Amino acid sequence: MQTLKLAFRNLFRNIRRTILTVMLIGLSLAALIAVDGIMRGMITLMVENVTSTISGEAQIHRVGFRENFDVDIYLENSDEIEQTLRQDSSLDSYTTRVMSGAMISSSYNVSAGLLYGVDAQRERTISKLEQALVRGEYLSGTESELLMGHTMAELLEVGLGDRIVLTLSEAGTGELAQALYRISGIVDFGMRELDDNFVFVNISAARKTLGMTDLQTHEFVLKFHDPADAENPETELFQTLNDEETEALGWLDLNREIGLIIQLTEFSSLIVGAILFLLASLGVINSMFMSIYERIYEFGVIKAIGTRPAAISNLILFEALLIALISCALGSALGYLIGLYTSNYGIGVGDMEFSGIAFDNNIFSEFHVSQFTQFPVYVILLTILAAIYPARFAARIVPSDALQRSL
Amino acid sequence: MTSAKTFLRNRLSLHLTTSRLICTLLFSSLFSNLAFGAERAIEIIDEMEALYQGASSSATMTMIVETPQYERTMEMEASSIGTEKSFIRILSPRKDRGIATLKLDMEMWNFLPKINRVIKVPPSMMMGSWMGSDFTNDDLVKQTTLTEEYSLTLEETDEHFTIILVPKEETVTVWGKIDYIVNKEYMVPVAQNFYDDNGEIIRKLEFSELKDFSGRMVPSRLEMIPMNKEGHKTIVIYDKLEFDPPDVDESVFTLRNLRSRF
Amino acid sequence: MLLLKLAFRNIFRQRRRSLLTALSMAGGYILCSFSFSLSEGSYSNAISFFTLDHTGHVQIHMEDYLQRPKIHKTIDDPERISEILDARENIASHTLRVFAPAIAYSDTDNTPTQLIGVDLERERTTSTLEQKVSSGTYISSGLDSDGYYSAMIGAGIANSLNIGMGDELILISQGADGSVANDIYIVGGIVGNRNSLDKSTVFLPLQAAQEFLSMTGRVHEVSILLEDENDSRAEAISLQAELPELSVDPWQEVELTVYRSMQADKQGNVISLGIIIFIVFVGVLNTVLMSVLERTREFGVLKAIGSRPTKIALMISLETGLLASMSMFAGLLVSFPLIGWFTLYGFELAEPMDVGGIVMSHITGELSLYVLGTPLLLIILFALLISIPTGIRAARISPTQAMRSN
Repeated sequence: MQTLKLAFRNLFRNIRRTILTVMLIGLSLAALIAVDGIMRGMITLMVENVTSTISGEAQIHRVGFRENFDVDIYLENSDEIEQTLRQDSSLDSYTTRVMSGAMISSSYNVSAGLLYGVDAQRERTISKLEQALVRGEYLSGTESELLMGHTMAELLEVGLGDRIVLTLSEAGTGELAQALYRISGIVDFGMRELDDNFVFVNISAARKTLGMTDLQTHEFVLKFHDPADAENPETELFQTLNDEETEALGWLDLNREIGLIIQLTEFSSLIVGAILFLLASLGVINSMFMSIYERIYEFGVIKAIGTRPAAISNLILFEALLIALISCALGSALGYLIGLYTSNYGIGVGDMEFSGIAFDNNIFSEFHVSQFTQFPVYVILLTILAAIYPARFAARIVPSDALQRSL
Repeated sequence: MTSAKTFLRNRLSLHLTTSRLICTLLFSSLFSNLAFGAERAIEIIDEMEALYQGASSSATMTMIVETPQYERTMEMEASSIGTEKSFIRILSPRKDRGIATLKLDMEMWNFLPKINRVIKVPPSMMMGSWMGSDFTNDDLVKQTTLTEEYSLTLEETDEHFTIILVPKEETVTVWGKIDYIVNKEYMVPVAQNFYDDNGEIIRKLEFSELKDFSGRMVPSRLEMIPMNKEGHKTIVIYDKLEFDPPDVDESVFTLRNLRSRF
Repeated sequence: MLLLKLAFRNIFRQRRRSLLTALSMAGGYILCSFSFSLSEGSYSNAISFFTLDHTGHVQIHMEDYLQRPKIHKTIDDPERISEILDARENIASHTLRVFAPAIAYSDTDNTPTQLIGVDLERERTTSTLEQKVSSGTYISSGLDSDGYYSAMIGAGIANSLNIGMGDELILISQGADGSVANDIYIVGGIVGNRNSLDKSTVFLPLQAAQEFLSMTGRVHEVSILLEDENDSRAEAISLQAELPELSVDPWQEVELTVYRSMQADKQGNVISLGIIIFIVFVGVLNTVLMSVLERTREFGVLKAIGSRPTKIALMISLETGLLASMSMFAGLLVSFPLIGWFTLYGFELAEPMDVGGIVMSHITGELSLYVLGTPLLLIILFALLISIPTGIRAARISPTQAMRSN
């Protein structure tokens, strides 16, 4: 107890130095919190780009469908699957889709493309289709409605209200099927893959054209309350759904490359964090030594009158601990403030001429408990570790040498 | 995005078609559209279709495809029974000689002698142009039952009848309107115009050069002109045309015949 | 001169203090240069991926083939272009290609495919096609003994059509003259795996593809690899001037979406790098400041015995500068081999990443003047900057005050 009081008072003997040290450690902590928050924000952005534009957090298909997206490989038991989904409390929402390649003709031109039949209402909660609308109206359930990517609309020389004939093979029979639609809206995702090739219609109309029943679906798209569930293959819902006929996969399994990029990002932040703290430790050591040198005469005196080396060493360590605690408090506060600002206002990623729905350009940094629990603990531990060398040095001071020091 | 990207790599953007469209379009237009008043128009089209149902024919023609990049001339022979069955064989140029197409109802097959294979045409390939010409399948992939799928009105001048066809609500077509213009004196078609929903003409099929084929006066020259593509045109010229020829029977319209050497 | 000697002696007098300061500067330098290397390296890697994979650094097409590909938009005199390209020093190699959508048939199945005709010899040195062959061989360009051309097919095609080495592959497409293109080829090799970007592609020798599509002597694309990828834009402009009737684009235009997202990514990275540099600066500030401030008494004495304040300030700056330089040198000694190793070998990834058929198993960095030099300059400059006001302050203090302080 006494040592603690002493340590505390010692900090104030050289305010400047104490402030510098606290600043060093505190800023390092704040920086680490900030960078971690940014990294997390970047990853979330990337994941969102992948999942929320159109692919969703998880998908259910018939086994084999994803090989070639064969229109004949559909789920037969949509009602059973829907029942399972409705009963699952971890799901936020889901939607159904049918899809097929098709030739898309207007009065002026013809082009190959992809037909997506979507459940207009449910689709709202899963993808950004509605937000991508730039002209016309979103799907309302009327049979002949069709939304088209804007670059395809340019190619086909069409606008709102124009005729579109879709030609494709019926699912299962392969028979020729054609249907008439009218352009009710134009979409701009900001991604050529989507804008060049996709048309969206109501799922009931698509099923009719494809000759499919209400029980037949190509794809279920899911959204969980907790995004972590989507990344975890052990999630109960996946266990329930997966069997020889049905395949339910989270986006991470569907997009392995993103998983790797995330690993890479986490790995490099780890390295950076480690080195950063190493640097901070050097500062701590430097600072501790200086404080010891200043008082070397004193140390000489108290050792001469009998203070145990351990007591001196403890004193130094306590001083380090106190500095660490103060630094953590300040550093965390600063880190929190920075995080607050960047999470609300975001970090713009420069001047993007092509910002579109698919590319949300602001990185919003994210808070995470570990930033305020794990990181400060590391800081405290490291500071104390760094102080061991100076502490031992102080403990080993030979009184006669110390008392001779003048300058 | 992997799913979308992968799917896209499976796109079909092939403009390969097959046959029979020309036959039906040409042959049916020769007989149809002699309309006197909407009801009469329907009557006569029905009559013509009925007449045509029983008819068989064989012909030899030359097709010239003009584009800004090339001009191609092909010679072919064709046979048909009604609108359901047709058989076309290309005679020239040499590298295409022997390519043949058989259409039975809604199914089509191509025979390609170079690889000695009969290929069934998948429905998705039915769209697009035939042999790079300006004739599309959209006209002919389905039976055009004009009287059922379109509403007809008749206009008349001293020289011409014009039958205006407007597709009904549910009719699946890219056209907003089609005009058939018929020459009163000879009762032969003069032109067909295809319009979009705004009344703009998108393509024209013009008939000219009346000739006597086996006793009937029929336009021997057809020109399909897309109005929205500069420099594109397809011309079909009938060199020979026979009605109810003796050598055209059911055996012509078989896969065996498709494969046979000639 | 005296000052310099003094500065040196001072540094070595207080070994511990100097060492700690030097360590913090050197350590900061190593961290910065490593971060730079990682960041630059990952971009270079990404760029190399597709430029070496198939894009090349510069591409030539006719008109707007890149934006709206149509079979008739062809380069009709590729031999003249090849001559021009072969003569240019900056160009490492180039290749010629032809593209068309086609349908591939086996006995029982058919599947849509993209046909790419390539100059097999040139392709070897301009893209990674040869390395992507996963079974069979990199085909030759001539006819085999039966008079057929060989083809290399994507694994997806091999799977959909259930065909393999030595089997017949039938391709049907539309020729440039509007005719039906149809022919038989023999499968000589399979490219990539079922997840590769090329899985639905059929590769033919250039001549075979040209004959197939009735466009002998014509090509759609010339793809060029430069000696130095950083010259891409400049080279494209220069070539465009020489070939006004064609369209010459650097890879940044050819792969516009990828380039833009990389730029966006870079912006985000700059922020992280900025923060790292900031912390390193704080560390340097801390150590330099403290080293100077703790000697206040010493400077007081110096002043008391007559040293001019200017000399004292100068000496402080000199010391800091010298120390910084020595630290940087030491840091360089460590960074150079470290980053060199990182660039050549890199860290192994937990799971090799398959990027379109090319397997990326390591993350590597980049070794360059920028990576090594920028942090070095920054740290030395900053240290010097810090030392100036500090030195001035220390020099101004009155001797009595100085000797009283701790």
